[in-house]
Formats: sequence, C-alpha cells, structure tokens
Amino acid sequence: MKRILAASVAAVLAIGTLAGCGSKATNDTSGAGSADGDVIKIGIFEPLTGANAAGGQLEVEGMMLANEMRPEVLGKKVVLVQADNKSDKAEATTAAARLIEKEKVACILGSWGSSLSIAAGDLVKTNKVPAIGASCTNPLVTQGNDYYFRVCFIDTDQGRIVANYCADNFGAKKVAVIQEVSNDYSTGLVKIFSENFKAKGGEIIDGGSYQTNDTDFSGILANLKSSNPDAIFAPGNYTESAMIIKQARAQGITAPFIGCDTWETGPFIEVGGSDVEGAIMTTFFDDKNPVNDEGKKFVEAYNKKYPDKQGNIDSVAALGYDAYMLALDAIERAGSTDGTAVRDAIAATKDFQGATGAITINETGDADKDVAIIKTVKDGKFTFLDTVKMK
Amino acid sequence: MGNSVNASGANQKSNRMKYVRIGILLVVVLIFVFIADITVNSYVRRILNLCAIYTILGLSMNLVNGFTGLFSLGQAGFMAVGAYCVAVFTVPVESRAAMFYLVPQNPAIANLELPFVVALLLGGFVSAFFAFLIGFPVLRLKGDYLAIATLGFSEIIRIVFTNTQTITNGALGIKGIPTINRLWWTFGIAILVVIFMFLLINSTYGRAFKAIREDEIAAEAMGISLFKHKVLSFTISGFLAGIGGGLFAALLGTVDPKQFYFTLTYNFLLIIVLGGMGSISGTIISAFIVTAGLEWLRLLDEPHAIFGWNVPLFRPGLRMVVFSILLMAIVLFWSRGLMGNQELSWEYVKKVPDKVRNAFRIKSAKGGAAK
Repeated sequence: MKRILAASVAAVLAIGTLAGCGSKATNDTSGAGSADGDVIKIGIFEPLTGANAAGGQLEVEGMMLANEMRPEVLGKKVVLVQADNKSDKAEATTAAARLIEKEKVACILGSWGSSLSIAAGDLVKTNKVPAIGASCTNPLVTQGNDYYFRVCFIDTDQGRIVANYCADNFGAKKVAVIQEVSNDYSTGLVKIFSENFKAKGGEIIDGGSYQTNDTDFSGILANLKSSNPDAIFAPGNYTESAMIIKQARAQGITAPFIGCDTWETGPFIEVGGSDVEGAIMTTFFDDKNPVNDEGKKFVEAYNKKYPDKQGNIDSVAALGYDAYMLALDAIERAGSTDGTAVRDAIAATKDFQGATGAITINETGDADKDVAIIKTVKDGKFTFLDTVKMK
Repeated sequence: MGNSVNASGANQKSNRMKYVRIGILLVVVLIFVFIADITVNSYVRRILNLCAIYTILGLSMNLVNGFTGLFSLGQAGFMAVGAYCVAVFTVPVESRAAMFYLVPQNPAIANLELPFVVALLLGGFVSAFFAFLIGFPVLRLKGDYLAIATLGFSEIIRIVFTNTQTITNGALGIKGIPTINRLWWTFGIAILVVIFMFLLINSTYGRAFKAIREDEIAAEAMGISLFKHKVLSFTISGFLAGIGGGLFAALLGTVDPKQFYFTLTYNFLLIIVLGGMGSISGTIISAFIVTAGLEWLRLLDEPHAIFGWNVPLFRPGLRMVVFSILLMAIVLFWSRGLMGNQELSWEYVKKVPDKVRNAFRIKSAKGGAAK
C-alpha cells in the first residue's frame, strides 16, 4: 500500500517537474519575444482563487473579450499575463511584484476587491508601472498614488447619486441607513449618502449596523420599524442585504430598499426571492440599454463569446473591458510602453468612450463618468429603471 | 519522547563541535542574506521577506502548539495587534487626514508618529500583554475548548479593530505604512528569534514546556507549575506574533481588519504541522517551502504549450490544486511533519542516507532541500 502511494506521489512530483521544464521553455520564447519587441504584455492582477474569485473571474472575462476585439497596439501583439492574487493581501503583493519584475508588463489591470489593489499600490508607484482598477471603489486605492487609476466611479459619487435620486425622483423625506460595518464599501457609501441627503434637506435615521456573515437582523429591524422611514438605504454584500430585506418584509416593513452595485448579481434574487421585488440599486452598466456605440459593440461580442450567459452581463465584466481598452488607448497615445509615458497618457484621458459610458480621468486618478444606471428588481429580474446624468 | 532527552544528553559530549557548527551556519546564513540583499530583484526579495516573517510567526505558534502542547488558534489576533501598532503609529502624520475621511482620527494619536523600531516593539509588548491577560482565564481550558476560546479572542480583536474607526479607520484600513525593502529587518529579526527559541527550548523553561506537553499530571507531580509555564509560553508567543505582525504590516504597507480573518491562522498552522509540531528547524524549513513553493507553483497557472498544443489544464487555480495534493502526500508520508519533533542537527543529517535506503528517492530530495 505504502509503495503504491509512494509511487503515485513520485508521479505527481515528476509531473510537477515536467511542468516546470515546460514552462521554462515557453518563458524563454516569450522572453525572447519581448526582447525583440514584438509583444506588449499587460498584467491581469485578479483574485482567481479564494473568496473573491467569482468577481475576479468576471472581470477577467471582460478583459479577455477586449483582448480578442483589439489584440494589437502600436503594431505589436498584446499578451495578457494573469497573476492570481488569491484574494489575499500578502499574495497580492507578490503577484504584483511578479508582474512587474518578472513579466515586465507595461500596465496592470485590476483588482476586484479594493484592499488587494491598495496592497499593490505601493509597488506600482515605486516601480512606475501604471495600474488601472476595474471595479475597486474604495477612495484609498488612488489616493496619494499617481500610478493607480480606475474606470469605475468611486463610493463618493455613488453615494451622491443615490442621495439625489432618493430626494428628487423618489420624493423621500426620511431615509433610514443600515451599514455593514466590516465592509469599507458599505461604511463609505452610508457616510456620503447621509451627508448629501441631509444637504438636500432630508432626514437620516441611523438604522444600526451589522457584520459580514451575520444572519439575524431582527434586532436592528425592530428598531427601524418604529421610526417608519420612507425608504431604507442598506448597501452591502448581496447575501446579507437580501436576508435583511427578507426579514424586514417578514416584520411588516414595507418601505422600499435602496442599495448599490453589489446587489446586481444573481444570488441576490436567489436569496431574497419575491421579497426583493422593487429593490432599487445604482450600477455601472445595463446590457439591455447600452449608453453608447461601444456599449452595443461590447454586448454583442460578449453574448457571442459567452452564449450561456445570454441576457445577464455583469457590470464588472464591462468595467474589465473598459480597463483594458483604456490601457491600450493610453499606450497608443503615449506611443511607447514606458511606464511614465503611459501613466501620463492615462492621466490625460478625456471623454474616452468605454462600454460603460464616457470616461474622463480626474486629478485624483478616478473616473468621472457621464451616466449612472438605476435598476430595480421586477418579476425576478434586474430591470432598467432610469439613467442619471452625473454632475 | 525519551528520544529527545537522550539526544540532548549525547549532544553535551560534543558541545564544542556543536558551537563551531552553529557559528559556521550563522556566518553562512548572514553571507547569504548579504549577497541576496544586493543581488535579487524586488520580486524575489519580497518572497524572501515573506519567508522570514512566516518563520517568525510559525515559531511563535509552534512554541504554544508544538512545544507546550496547547492547541491555540489566536495567532491572527495577536498579529493584528502588532500590525495595527505599526500601522497606526508609523504612517506619516500629513497623510492621515485624507485617509481618515469617514471619521477623523482621535486627536490623541492623530499627531503621534513613532520610529519603526519603537512601534514594532510596542506592537510586540501590547500583543504580549493581551496574551498575558487572556491567558489567565483561557489557559484553564484544555484541547478543543482552548482552541475555541483563542479563536474567539482573535475574532473579537478583529471586530474591535473594525469598529474603533477613530483609531484604526475601521473597515477602510490604513495604507501608506513606510515599507521595509531590505532583507535585514526580516532576516535579522528571524535569526534572533531562532536563536532565542533554541536557547529557550533548551533552558529549564523549555524542558518544562515539553514536560507539560507530554503529560500534564506527571509534570505537575515533578513540581512544575502548570499555570505559570503555560502563561509564560503563551505570552512569549504573543510577543513574537506581535513582532511578526508588525513586520507583516510594514512589508505590505497596508492593513485592514479583513486581513486578520481567522483563516490567516491556518496558514501558520499549516506551516507548523508540515514542519513538525515541536521542531524549530522544521518550522523554518516548512515556512520557506510553503511560501516559496507556492510562488514557484505559479508556473502551473500560466498557459503552456507542449509541441504546439495548448494544454487546457494549465490555467489559473491549478497551482492550488497541485499544492493541496502535495500537502496531502506529505501528510501521508510524514504523518508527524517533515521533522517530527526532531531538530535538523549534524546527527540527523548523518542518519539521512539510512533513511533514504529505507524509503524512496523522494525523501532524499526533501533531505537535500532541508540542508
């Protein structure tokens, strides 16, 4: 028995070694390729395993699609190099260092999960390799870092949009806020929302806070019921949010729930069922109503490449697509792959037509976009409700 | 277990040779660090830094779990304390206001900036203090109950850091911690910790720890104060974990509470189980194997072509599969870890050829790596 086991382990090790040799060979050829200068490498820095893998995978899909649609820049082939950051900060820094030092990429795309991007921030800054985040919305990602950019709007903008929407289109006077205190995204949004809503003359009720992975919200909801709000703003993880809504309906709270882009995902409806009907959220992209020609092109190509996902394109895939396209656009404008030149080109981006709308990079490295999408849940599907002009 | 006592008795005869060998080993390691520090690129440097930090953290955990026989899972909590001490006190004052944009930092510490060494030591001491404090009630528990209580402690620490927004910036985390790039910080401290551990384990305290691990009742009958030694072991472990956590924060340049989820503890549990519970050299070896090996396996994540045919198997995620298989294999063959509770001594190395003859070639490969 032991011998059989030993033999099988030997086989596994041998395969590992073989794989090692194989990789050496391909690495050498690609290394020679970049020395010849006929390939431009772009690094994909995403969580492909671990807790954030689902989100990372979606962004990669968008980037791969973009790479197929535009495989060349400056007359050279673009090669995507994936580095898995394992949803782990320590791994994230080694993955980023690998892309920069070993692969010598011209630009880095990603990551899903702001904290992973923040961990890589220091590396891209000191090595002067520009990075473009797709869906990392935490303001700290680009703060004080000239080399990190993003194509999504940040929590600050999103909070403002929702506050304006609540006050103007919804006519809400009294809104309760519930925050997921262990989630940077949720606390940021609630804070910005409250400030903007108060500035509009509305009243904010502190509906309490909960932790990620909580399952019982009856305590905070009981308090909330007595204050009788016009609407409830509860951005956070989709699972917890859906459970809050379910439990609120069970307690007889009828006020509509408002959230943000994290809700727009299948499991939100699966968990919430019929109770999440009417929930409203802001998001970046709607595949049924593309805001421009680039968006139409993207939807068409995406549905062709991933037919099994027909009719359900996640926003982050569109953002991944935009990140890639922006990187190529910047390399083209810079006329080289020199880190500083590409950085300057990205920073100078103005009215770049992405699938999620026109993108202008502002002085902090964040994207100023022209539109945001408001969606709602109707008949168990995310349905387009409204487009809001930003500014 | 009598084995290790015999070994230490035999060692005394050749004490002088032992010191010479240790001296040579130390010089070799220092030369290696010196050369590595000037030659390697920042990618390799980062991996080496991580190896050294994981060595410190692994040893800290091994002291309690491996040497004293207490099943503690509080490592992530102690690390968080050390990491946050470094993060809160070393971030440049001028960049703090922008970072604490949700809730301003408490004025008492908003303008307080400490040198890295001071913050690091502070982290160690605060962490040791917490270990001492919770050690009192918790160390009366045994086995699984102790594991649950320490796990609970580590989660409490994380949730406290999430909610004390005026100090830790809550879930947003802290970034811009001045980073350490040279190898000397991490390797210097790791070497000191290794020396300290060897001295501790071979002292009367160390023997008492091991006696407690083997049989609490017998140890107590021999006049060893169980409680005192358990708290001591726990506190020292807390101190080392705090230092390791501080270095970890300074290497990454950023901290946030989610980083210190209890799953972080399992990284170190993996290292000490793989290296051998109760083996210092085993912990060092496995810290390097796990960290560097996982990075080396990244080549499985890259696309590969054999004779022009693109093998669909090679895609991101494969390395984790292979890594898990290797772990299972190692646990099957070395059920007590790579080193068991032995140390990698000259005597141990001399025995390797015999062992190789008895086993398969794989072992010689591992033995070679261990050297």
